[in-house]
Amino acid sequence: MKNSSIRFQLNCKLFELLIMTVAFLAILAHPVLAQEGDDDHDGHGHGEEQKDWVRLDQDEMREFGVVVSEAGSAVLEQTLELPGEIRADDNALAHIVPRFSGIVTEVRAQVGDRVVARDILAVIESDESLSPYEMKTLISGTVIDKHITLGEAVSREHAGFIIADLSNVWADITVYQRDLTRVSDGQRVTIDGGDHLPGASGRISYVAPIVNEKTRTALARVVLPNDSGVWRPGTFITAQVVVDRLDVPVAVPRTALQMFQGHDVVFVQTDEGFAPRPVVVGRADRNHLEIVSGLAPGEFYVSQGGFTLKAELGKESFGGGHDH
Amino acid sequence: MLERLMEFSLGNRLLVIVVALLVMGAGYFAYTRLPVDAFPDVSPNLVQVFTVTEGLAPEEIEKYVTFPVEAAMTGLPGVEKVRSISNFGLSVVNVYFQDSLDIYFARQIVGERLQEAREQIPEGFGDPEMGPISTGMGLVLFYFLDDTTGEYSLEEMRTIQDWLVKFHLQTVPGVTEVLGIGGHEKQFHIEIRPEQLLRYDVTLDEVIDRVRSNNLNVGAQFIEKNAEEFVVRSVGLATGTEDLRSIVIKTEDGTPIFLSDLAEIGTGAAVRRGLQTRNGVGEVVSGQVVKLFGTNSSTVISDVESKLEEINRILPEGVRIVPYYQQKDLVEAAVRTVTNALLQGIVLVAVVLLIFMGGLRPSVVVALSLPFSVLFAVLLMERFGLSANLMSLGGLAIAIGMMVDGTIVMVENVDRRLRLAGRDESRLRVISQACGEVGRPILFAISIIILVFVPLFTLQGVEGKTFRPLAYTVAMAMLGSLVFALFLAPTFSSLLMRSGRKSREGGAGEEPRIVRWLQVPYRPVVGFFVRRRWTAAVLAAALLVVGAMIVPRLGSEFTPKLREGTIVVRLTMAPSISLSESQRTTRIVERRLLAIPEIREVISRIGRGEVGAHTDPINSAEMYVLLAPESEWRISGGQEEIEDLIREELGNVPGVLVNLTQPIEMTVDELLEGVRAELAVKIFGDDLDVLMVQAANVAAIVGQVPGAADVQVDQVSGTPQLLLRIDRKAIARYGINVDEVQEVIRAAIGGEVAGQIYEGIRRFDILVRYVPDARSTAEDIRHVLITAPGGARVPLDQLASIEEIIGPRQITREDNQRFVSIQCNVVGRDIGSFVAEAQDAIDDSVDLPPGYLVTWGGQFRLQQEANRRLAVVVPVTLLFVFLLLFGSFGSIRNSLLILLNIPLALVGGVVGLWLTGQNLSVPASVGFIALFGIALENGMVLVTYLNQLLRDGVPLAEASIQGACQRLRPVLMTATTTALGLFPLLFSHGTGSEVQRPLATVVVGGLFTSTLLTLLVIPAFYPWFAVKTGQESRTVMENRS
Repeated sequence: MKNSSIRFQLNCKLFELLIMTVAFLAILAHPVLAQEGDDDHDGHGHGEEQKDWVRLDQDEMREFGVVVSEAGSAVLEQTLELPGEIRADDNALAHIVPRFSGIVTEVRAQVGDRVVARDILAVIESDESLSPYEMKTLISGTVIDKHITLGEAVSREHAGFIIADLSNVWADITVYQRDLTRVSDGQRVTIDGGDHLPGASGRISYVAPIVNEKTRTALARVVLPNDSGVWRPGTFITAQVVVDRLDVPVAVPRTALQMFQGHDVVFVQTDEGFAPRPVVVGRADRNHLEIVSGLAPGEFYVSQGGFTLKAELGKESFGGGHDH
Repeated sequence: MLERLMEFSLGNRLLVIVVALLVMGAGYFAYTRLPVDAFPDVSPNLVQVFTVTEGLAPEEIEKYVTFPVEAAMTGLPGVEKVRSISNFGLSVVNVYFQDSLDIYFARQIVGERLQEAREQIPEGFGDPEMGPISTGMGLVLFYFLDDTTGEYSLEEMRTIQDWLVKFHLQTVPGVTEVLGIGGHEKQFHIEIRPEQLLRYDVTLDEVIDRVRSNNLNVGAQFIEKNAEEFVVRSVGLATGTEDLRSIVIKTEDGTPIFLSDLAEIGTGAAVRRGLQTRNGVGEVVSGQVVKLFGTNSSTVISDVESKLEEINRILPEGVRIVPYYQQKDLVEAAVRTVTNALLQGIVLVAVVLLIFMGGLRPSVVVALSLPFSVLFAVLLMERFGLSANLMSLGGLAIAIGMMVDGTIVMVENVDRRLRLAGRDESRLRVISQACGEVGRPILFAISIIILVFVPLFTLQGVEGKTFRPLAYTVAMAMLGSLVFALFLAPTFSSLLMRSGRKSREGGAGEEPRIVRWLQVPYRPVVGFFVRRRWTAAVLAAALLVVGAMIVPRLGSEFTPKLREGTIVVRLTMAPSISLSESQRTTRIVERRLLAIPEIREVISRIGRGEVGAHTDPINSAEMYVLLAPESEWRISGGQEEIEDLIREELGNVPGVLVNLTQPIEMTVDELLEGVRAELAVKIFGDDLDVLMVQAANVAAIVGQVPGAADVQVDQVSGTPQLLLRIDRKAIARYGINVDEVQEVIRAAIGGEVAGQIYEGIRRFDILVRYVPDARSTAEDIRHVLITAPGGARVPLDQLASIEEIIGPRQITREDNQRFVSIQCNVVGRDIGSFVAEAQDAIDDSVDLPPGYLVTWGGQFRLQQEANRRLAVVVPVTLLFVFLLLFGSFGSIRNSLLILLNIPLALVGGVVGLWLTGQNLSVPASVGFIALFGIALENGMVLVTYLNQLLRDGVPLAEASIQGACQRLRPVLMTATTTALGLFPLLFSHGTGSEVQRPLATVVVGGLFTSTLLTLLVIPAFYPWFAVKTGQESRTVMENRS
């Protein structure tokens, strides 16, 4: 009896030990186990296989503004936007000086007056002959400046009148050094004077052979017809110079090009869906890009709304660390 | 000592009653003043430093702003970690302090150091400011301004928000900040035509200078006139666009050139990094009310509401404030859940008492312990600054059943002794003796219950903040119940309970009918087990095995998700997205959501508004879903069903990651800012490119270690940049300095603020920049002209190379170093060995350049810390429990027998979880801890009595059976009261019930097995553990008593 009770006690001790161990493990295990059920991973689940195309149905395309177009040729107009200034035509400018020094006895023309060649502008009494003589304009045009007043003693050192023929004016365009190689005679130019002036266009008639030492710019000139007189010398203008006109076999709107994983891509419609296609971009104008390779004429591509497709493809990665 | 105190209390009954009433009165008073919250605040103790530098890229923000701020924060006392994010235009430095540090002290020392940081940040690069004195729970109310007339522009609405609504709301006590978002902040825009600059030969700088110098008021002291003083002031402030237009830039030959000759002048919208949309149709202006740290949510909210009423009255006709998220709803719902549980628990417990006590009077005495203990706990809560919330009140609800236990034992004994007492014995004397008998065991039993909750006090982090309040209130309530049982119960017994001879039940030792009924089947069963102890042992072992087998089958989760009752759909879009595209996408999703009939309105916030609460970039949108009244739903209800509907309706949104979350959850997650995965590998180093390459390498290697799942590299890049790299040779040719170029880039493209225009106290910035068509495309930027000192005008792209690159979207730093993290979960093996293996693999195959460092972190680190702490605390607690038991029984054997209850109780809890399909979680663990306490108490009640019988000379086997039968009533009573007290929590579906349910399940399930086993196994095992009946043990007993 005694013996067995000792054995019992021993068994009990072992039993306790077992139970206590289980209890401890259970307590300690909870926090360890507790961390497994992190169910915060919505959105990553389907990212196992990296898919490289996106499928959208018609409704979604309309909803997200995805537009598909057919690849084709286009004409690219490469332009330069340059500042400039309207100047009077040097070749149609006349400085009228008194032939002899003398006293002004009569002034017949005012600034702004239109004159015809050989019109009398002023009458001057010569100091030498003391007889009056007439100052006549050499060309037809407009009086743009006058430095002569009644009773004034004038001499031949000073021009009395400046007459300009403003039926043609010059648009002198400032060409920066980096653009010089691209600007040449005969290129078409659109002139915009801003401030509600009507636009005008013409061709470059002259590119200066030298560069101004101070401003480091060269000059290109467009002769503008100015019968209406809106182009007043001194007006600031902006000139769009069409430096190149290209027929390219494949061009896409700028909105079609997306940067995806470091490459320029265009989304192309394939049987599976829309797939990003790396392309090589050639020349460009304001609205279009030439595609040198990667897109064949006749293929259907996404011309608008490509961003949505790109975002869908890159979606797996933008959960990032902090956005849960 | 204890006996003398009890004697004293019985001798001064009036005093005792007065003190009791005072305590209860004070408790009630405390209750009315107790701050009320929805949940315990789990936000970390942190001070945020925000610096807004409009227009600066992440790299520059980091270099010029974040680094100086961060550097200033190092070495502050109590700082645990400094983490920073440099975003486009915004630097956020989070300074995490130890939880024990006072937030105002922390802010003060941060403020002092900020002074240093300000000196280090270059002029014009922003001014670092501390975030609002608030926490993740601080966003108490969101509203939007509804314009029913449709006449107000977004700019006007924003002005109303910023200068009317915000102004008034900020005066409400407890409101620390009101943050506006949406609409357009009004600004005066001077948009310069660059060709006009050429025409008039002025530079941008000169224009900005002129604007600045034509807009100020001065004072010039006073003059005396006829014994009076006249203050001299000169008013030269521009008052509007007219004044700006007529600013003279220069005069050429007497002809003034006005600003209006050079620029378009008007009011416009400030650059914004966020907006707010509503119902897929339009933008709205909205605001967020941020509550001051530590203030009472419910009073702040009600004050804000009444203020809103007031403001509504002064708003222009047709404009009104519409709250769309109110934490009040959540607070009310959460508090309702627990108070309901509390009240129902009290009723159930009272019913049980009536049934088992077999008399109204003793039941009343016991029931009185409930209000006393609860109010006692509330009094202490107020003293220790605990707020009333889901968890703290939940603690009371859990303790309901346990609070009565001490008094039950006391009253039961008094009842028994009164019945046995002779006619001529003094009632007080009998009661005093009865109380003396059980006083000590009650003291020990309740102390043990309090003690087992101690490990919870040591919990840290989020779990700690969540469950410590619960542990505190349980401990406080138990303390209250102890005071009641020991000092008040005797007094009330003497006043309310009748002596035996008057009792209707009559016969001595008579038990209530129900107990007698139960004893009929119980006696033979317990007899069987006492005779065949091994059967009992096998049964117990079998149960343990069952429990051990079920444990691995249980799922596990950290903490069940609290249902806040408000659904937030969070969209994450491509990091490179523009605000307008982001808005377009958000509206599409809004329209899809509104296709669900249960959804009445959707209001979304994109990006961030005024800095202070959110730092989200514009590629993230948070959509608040407002539901129709539940009666109109097609489905039976519940947040989860609605969430399923939303998931179904939204489907896959192209280009958008959709997550469903909740307001507080979201904000707190953002503040914690930790990685949510189990494991995070952080690579620290300087060069972002190197970091990214190495991160990809490490991710590849970690992904190959067995057990790795969801390996993901933190995406740090993805924001396109137009990088202007200044060509030093080119600028040298023209004699231009770098800053001259950059000044033009900054002002012409970005814009520069050149003063303010005051309209009353309202201030609006004057922004000078180029007209949009001279700066909005890369092509335009190439053509921006720079004037060289020699007079040459040079286009920008002749001085700088311009390239489009993909830059970092944000730069994260920790402990003064950049890092990139790789997240990973581990499946099917333990994390420790996984980390060791992965670390070896990384050491072998990744060759990190010098200065680069790999560290391991994530949830697992916290878990390891918690485990280490618990590995010390739990055994120490058990040791103390054992010591207490030993102190109570004076016998190691008895103590061990009682400890046996613990594993047996565990089984029931595990089975309970398994049957109800719940997971092992932190609240379940808390349930197990509570269970230990109750199981120990049960064991004590029984063993004490068995010992007593043995001492009285009853033979062992007979004592076991007789004792078990006689103690059937108290054991069953304490168990049923506890279990029934928890029933309301078990079946509640209210807000927050999901956190309490696992806890209640474990306790109820555990009580079931533990009571069964207490009643069957303990009597059976008792002979093995009994103190030997012999001379020596008898002396021990006598010595002790």
